[in-house]
Amino acid sequence: MGNSRSDIDTGEVLFKQGNKMAVQGIWSGTISFSLVAIPVQLVKAVEPGRVSFRMLHSKDYSPLARRMFCPEEDAIVHPDEIIRGYEIRPGKYILITNEELESVSPQRSRTIEIVEFINMNEVDSIYYDHPYYLVPTKGGEKAYRLLVEVMRRTNKAGLAKFVLGEREYLVAVKSMGGALALMTLHYSEEILPDEDISPRGGEIEAEEKSRIKKIIKKMMADFSPEKYADERRKKIMDLLKKKAKEKVPVEAPQVEEEEGEGPADLIAALKESMRKVKMKR
Amino acid sequence: MAGGTIWKGYIHFGDTNVPVKLHTAIKEERIQFHLLHSRDHVKLRQQMICAYEKKAVPDEEQVKGFEVEDGKYIIVNPEELGQTAPESSRLIDVHEFIKTEQIDPIFLDRVYYLEPDIHLKGYNALVGALMEMDVEGICTWTMKKRSYLGALQTNGKILRLNTLRYADEVISVKSLGLQKIPLSEKELKIGSDLINQLTGFFQPQKFENEHQKKLHTLIGKKARGEKIAVLLPRRLKPTAPDKLLQALKASLKKVA
Amino acid sequence: MSRKVVEIAGRRLSLSNLEKDLYPSYGFTKAHILEYYRRIAMFILPHLEDRALTLKRYPEGVEKDFFFEKRCPSHRPGWVKTAEVSRDYGERMTVCLINDLETLIWVQNLASVELHVPLARVGSPETPDFMVFDLDPGDQATILVCAQVALILRDLLSRLGLTSYVKTSGKKGLHLYVPLNHKGKTFEDTKQFSRAVAVIMEKNYPDLVTAKMAKKYRKANVFINWAQNDSKKTMICIYSLRAREKPIVSFPLAWKELENAARQDDSEKLQVIHSEAVITAEKQGDLSREVLVKKQKLPYL
Repeated sequence: MGNSRSDIDTGEVLFKQGNKMAVQGIWSGTISFSLVAIPVQLVKAVEPGRVSFRMLHSKDYSPLARRMFCPEEDAIVHPDEIIRGYEIRPGKYILITNEELESVSPQRSRTIEIVEFINMNEVDSIYYDHPYYLVPTKGGEKAYRLLVEVMRRTNKAGLAKFVLGEREYLVAVKSMGGALALMTLHYSEEILPDEDISPRGGEIEAEEKSRIKKIIKKMMADFSPEKYADERRKKIMDLLKKKAKEKVPVEAPQVEEEEGEGPADLIAALKESMRKVKMKR
Repeated sequence: MAGGTIWKGYIHFGDTNVPVKLHTAIKEERIQFHLLHSRDHVKLRQQMICAYEKKAVPDEEQVKGFEVEDGKYIIVNPEELGQTAPESSRLIDVHEFIKTEQIDPIFLDRVYYLEPDIHLKGYNALVGALMEMDVEGICTWTMKKRSYLGALQTNGKILRLNTLRYADEVISVKSLGLQKIPLSEKELKIGSDLINQLTGFFQPQKFENEHQKKLHTLIGKKARGEKIAVLLPRRLKPTAPDKLLQALKASLKKVA
Repeated sequence: MSRKVVEIAGRRLSLSNLEKDLYPSYGFTKAHILEYYRRIAMFILPHLEDRALTLKRYPEGVEKDFFFEKRCPSHRPGWVKTAEVSRDYGERMTVCLINDLETLIWVQNLASVELHVPLARVGSPETPDFMVFDLDPGDQATILVCAQVALILRDLLSRLGLTSYVKTSGKKGLHLYVPLNHKGKTFEDTKQFSRAVAVIMEKNYPDLVTAKMAKKYRKANVFINWAQNDSKKTMICIYSLRAREKPIVSFPLAWKELENAARQDDSEKLQVIHSEAVITAEKQGDLSREVLVKKQKLPYL
């Protein structure tokens, strides 16, 4: 039979980019301001375009995965047997459970509480860390749309703190293109001082400045990020396309799930039924 | 102190060349936990395990593959990958200048401080020019075998380089599939009033990483053998669409 | 190459390249393919309804390049029904739904000889309507070995209270369907169940069955591909043509037929060609109708 080629009509590439990640919903909870509460889900707003590879076992091309390994028992440890510990002295740990972790900020888990609003242009871009989108879940569509619309009209962003996983974040929730974007911010104490690298004294260089301004004027444009592409990514994709034509891709053997055979009742019932089937045959 | 020097380059546009050193600008505060085996409290290590054989795999037996289809891979070796790396260059090539505030924060990735290298040579002039014209430079450069897109900015004292995400790395709002819902002018007016009432100045120093502080307290308590009360997280009841106006009015009353 | 305009249910469709021979070794043109699908429409449409279609297009015929198309082509007529599905990264994509004859014909005009659909419908993408056992024979095994496995599997499942239905894949294998048709179970459940079944089959019939995908285990064995029970996977739709040398159909079989073929060691009986498919379907009706309506619950989960 023939080889497959990419779907040109709709730009969908046969090559799958990146690792398969969970669909939807990094976090779900409520976003609130004063007495209004909106049920939402946090989803990704950006996706790294870097071509990602999987590490494979050269013997059988089976995918490798990072697992936690107990050096004492020389064996892989099941996630259920893993616990967090804080090292107070070398070799001495204080154990912390998930419930204890979540309990440290009980009011903030599952809620993004906007405590105040600020003007977006007051925020120095150095504060921005990572962007996400918030999407409304059932019942919250109207209140969500309201918040988006009023923040757009007033050109304000909401400041809040919320706990995701192990960390607490300071976030700015803003209106973006008809949706709510949530940007995590760095705490002030995390921003390193720049005094020691800022030039001390030095002439104003007025002539040089004037000359530079003239050049800048000639080079003015509007921000259009689509103009720029990741060259390395393109080269890697070209390499991959070339290799795909030369050789058939290798296939990894089927992976058995670690969980075991299945629920005990089912296994027992299957064993019994199989016994009867074999007897008949 | 700013972070150590991680790279050196030249800002270049026209016949202007400003040598600079890159420093990290952010240091994240985090309590580090170790992962332990619950049975014997032994510190666990990360290993690359073969999903099929369920055994650890040594480095020599590891290869890189790109998944084209479920379970099917194209193998690449380090030499081939090496050839795709961009040529090393010390140039931070500025292609154009834009008015500041044009870049939506969603594009911002990492920030670096730029320190003048060798001597000042045009650094202050560039700071002054960017500041007075209220512009940023869009530039590309190569660092450690990767290509970057970024914005050259200033805060009036020093120059900063803010790496940017590529356009196709930003997920479009359209793909979220949000519905358009009509809102009444009354709801919009009260909402806007409420927001204005709740508006303050951006004072980031006000916010401390309280969670970290509380974690330290928790750890301290456990170390002393004190009892910990585990509280369940509170979940707010969502505001029903027909009660929205009511909630807005009540909120406004509270803050006014 | 000719172009012809037809009207179906009040809608106009422009058909092209009707004389193009898409099965050159056999001699089966696009017009023939359209005719096949027109006649099989009433049997295939219920199995296509509300399922995110993956087109498999062979514009130059079955012996040349093909390509998959999950996104509904943007040049579609306005009346083609579509749905929005979620993909990885929160992205959404528009897919075609073949809910009527005119859309089926339109899709066939695009030379989408094979029609592949998921096990769940667009409205509830995480709820499979049925559990499947995709029986895939190794290089040295035949469809008759598959038949043996299918018959044992059917016996085993019936002892657990589950009725199953079988169809040919249109290639070398067989597909066993266990209808569920209720909200309770997800792909997690069907995957877990089918895997447990596959493993016990392998344990008890090691010379016949394998539950592992690696080619080295297959050879003379039949691979029970339990991993098909996944929201991201698709199966060839029942009554769809296959892009092989001849226009063979993925066709439902009565268990008795399978038993006879196995007993008589006659694999030919299990290759249903387009003409036979139409005649049989028109005479017997849709043998796999129960797959869409029968409600069953997976026990022990």
